[in-house]
Amino acid sequence: MTSKSHAGDKMEILITGFGGQGIVLAGQIVGKAASLIDHKESTLTQSYGPEARGGYCSAQVIISDKFIHFPYVRRPDILVCMSQGGYDKYAAMIKETSILIVDQNLVNPGDIPADRCFAIPATRMAEEMGRKMMANIVMVGFFTAITQAVSLDAARSTVSGSVPRGTEALNLAAFDKGYDFGLATLKGRRKKAEGKKGTVDEKP
Amino acid sequence: MDKLKIILFICNWGPHAAYQALQDCGADLPLDVRMIRIPCTGSMSKSLLFRAFELGADGVALLGCEPGSCRYGSGTKVAERNVEDTRGILDLLGLGGDRLRSAMFLPEESDALLMFLKDFHQVIQTMGESPVTPFPREAALPIGKEAAARVMTRHDIFACQDCGKCSSACPVTLSGKSFSPRAMASAIIAGNTESPQVVKDVWSCLTCGLCRDRCPSAVDFPEFIRDMRCLQKGAGKEGCEAHEGFFQSFMRAMTSPDLKIRHWEWLPSDIRTDAASKILFFGGCAPYFDTYFRAHLGIRTRDILVDGLRLLNFFDIHPTLLDGERCCGHDLLWSGDRENFLRLARLNVAAITEKGIEEVVTACPECYRTLAHDYPEQGIPVNFKVTHLFDLAEKEISKGAIAFEKLDRTLTFQDPCRLSRLAGRPELPRKLIERLNPQKFTEMRDRGASALCCGNCAWTGCDSFSKALQVKRLRQAKETGSNLLLTACPKCQIHLRCAMEDPFIGKEIEMEMMDLTSVLARTIRWE
Repeated sequence: MTSKSHAGDKMEILITGFGGQGIVLAGQIVGKAASLIDHKESTLTQSYGPEARGGYCSAQVIISDKFIHFPYVRRPDILVCMSQGGYDKYAAMIKETSILIVDQNLVNPGDIPADRCFAIPATRMAEEMGRKMMANIVMVGFFTAITQAVSLDAARSTVSGSVPRGTEALNLAAFDKGYDFGLATLKGRRKKAEGKKGTVDEKP
Repeated sequence: MDKLKIILFICNWGPHAAYQALQDCGADLPLDVRMIRIPCTGSMSKSLLFRAFELGADGVALLGCEPGSCRYGSGTKVAERNVEDTRGILDLLGLGGDRLRSAMFLPEESDALLMFLKDFHQVIQTMGESPVTPFPREAALPIGKEAAARVMTRHDIFACQDCGKCSSACPVTLSGKSFSPRAMASAIIAGNTESPQVVKDVWSCLTCGLCRDRCPSAVDFPEFIRDMRCLQKGAGKEGCEAHEGFFQSFMRAMTSPDLKIRHWEWLPSDIRTDAASKILFFGGCAPYFDTYFRAHLGIRTRDILVDGLRLLNFFDIHPTLLDGERCCGHDLLWSGDRENFLRLARLNVAAITEKGIEEVVTACPECYRTLAHDYPEQGIPVNFKVTHLFDLAEKEISKGAIAFEKLDRTLTFQDPCRLSRLAGRPELPRKLIERLNPQKFTEMRDRGASALCCGNCAWTGCDSFSKALQVKRLRQAKETGSNLLLTACPKCQIHLRCAMEDPFIGKEIEMEMMDLTSVLARTIRWE
């Protein structure tokens, strides 16, 4: 689940969703965190134009230790979907080792094996925090915890530098919410793999 | 070595005759043994047996008649049960159950009696003096005008508008007792701090805080009552302790600093703790309650502690425990014994501080309130954070990836007064209940900040009116059609279970109870 385990020194990330969900901003945050703070190479291309006005828009991020010669994503190592349309269009591109991250209330990930699919109710969490528009930041937090594609410090400081002034604290709280959810998800899977489902076997 | 203090409670009938025979023939009786003749060993309650230890006895022997020769029929049996339970308490306190012994003798068995006394004396001599050192009581003085005025001012009792909202809500008044919070307030303002009616009223209050919730002037009635009780105790007035003051008695015994309490020895081995942890799990008095009520109610409130620890382990928190954990002092403070409360508080805070604890977690609403609120308020500063287990669980669960297994029960919930009203947080347990996966959850008619009390508080004021209140509450629980009553305080379970023992309507109001902590721990799963 770490960046090394499946991507060697280059990682192709595709973030998709509806226009207006902040997909491009999420891509910007990931790319900026990787290049400006983690000191790796990174590129961002975004789709705008007719397709962005349909059910999906996308941000393509590449993070690499070496120079990047081609800025488009061919086979994403990490596919993040915040809309069903985005999933339907790009799911066919993923590899056997790719990780799929979805908003569980917006995307039905079909027959992707459960161990490679990570789901979070990002939009609902953002709604509970009072601003639905922060769903992308919750997702970036979750993404950071699950993939470790960027470091926690880099992601946090990029979030606070990328959101409108005055909303930094709220957005960081949203980020942490997603990040904690990601850690808890990983922990839960680890525990289950160890055969520890609950505390005791007896039922009241 | 100083003289040992060994007390012999001896039944008037069988063993006393044997004892007299020994005295008549000038037998070599151990000098440290003091004999007290009693009518029957069955009349020695647990509180009387324990009281001797509270006052510094090194050993106590209860000598009765052989079973079958008891003049009153069941005396010997009752005595054996009382002795066993009290020995359990002595073990938990680290005093050693062997300091209390029971034996039976026929009138002609004087040789056997002498052997017993010598042996017991030997045992106590080996165990040494009791580490319990009673503090001398201060002389009782009438309640001073200034002291009373200070209490009234502190809680702004003068703000009472005499509107009667308190009486119309008070569960004690509504269960038929002639008791009125505002009438008492008026009487105390008028200066009648020691009139028999005021003394009675001060001990009738359950300090459940419903009146505080309803009072338009926000008079903090429970705390006012608490301080009035302290004043009255200081003036030598009798309290109204239930179980003959047994609980207050063992809590006072815990104020001896040399006591090597063994609070956690019974803990199951699968619980993981870490002595170096900065998080402490503060259990509370549940092991004592279970021991005391073992033969009576058969409750298992210590399960709450085990399940609380299991829940922490589930979250990968391995807390440390205080082996010599003492009572938080809640019941002493709320039954008017501030002096001994402060002693317990100082010992607890010193022990916790010495361990370098940063956060204390507890599943008991009384411990939570007392550690977090009353310690600092009563002048014992704490340098650690106090967290209710529910807060911690809510925080951990909201991180996600945790689900609850289906629970094939229909639930309702009894609010603990210390959390739902005095701390003003009725929503906290409900957030967790909402996360559970039961067949159904139905609230009772009176709920949240308006919930009815479980009937008693701080082991005081148990009478037929409080029983009526408990029956009323259980009927409300039954009314919801639920089959499992969730509680969040060990005492709610004890008090409501006691009401279910009613020989006439017990069956009608009987209901299974379980602490929310236990339900959480037993159904929580990684998703």
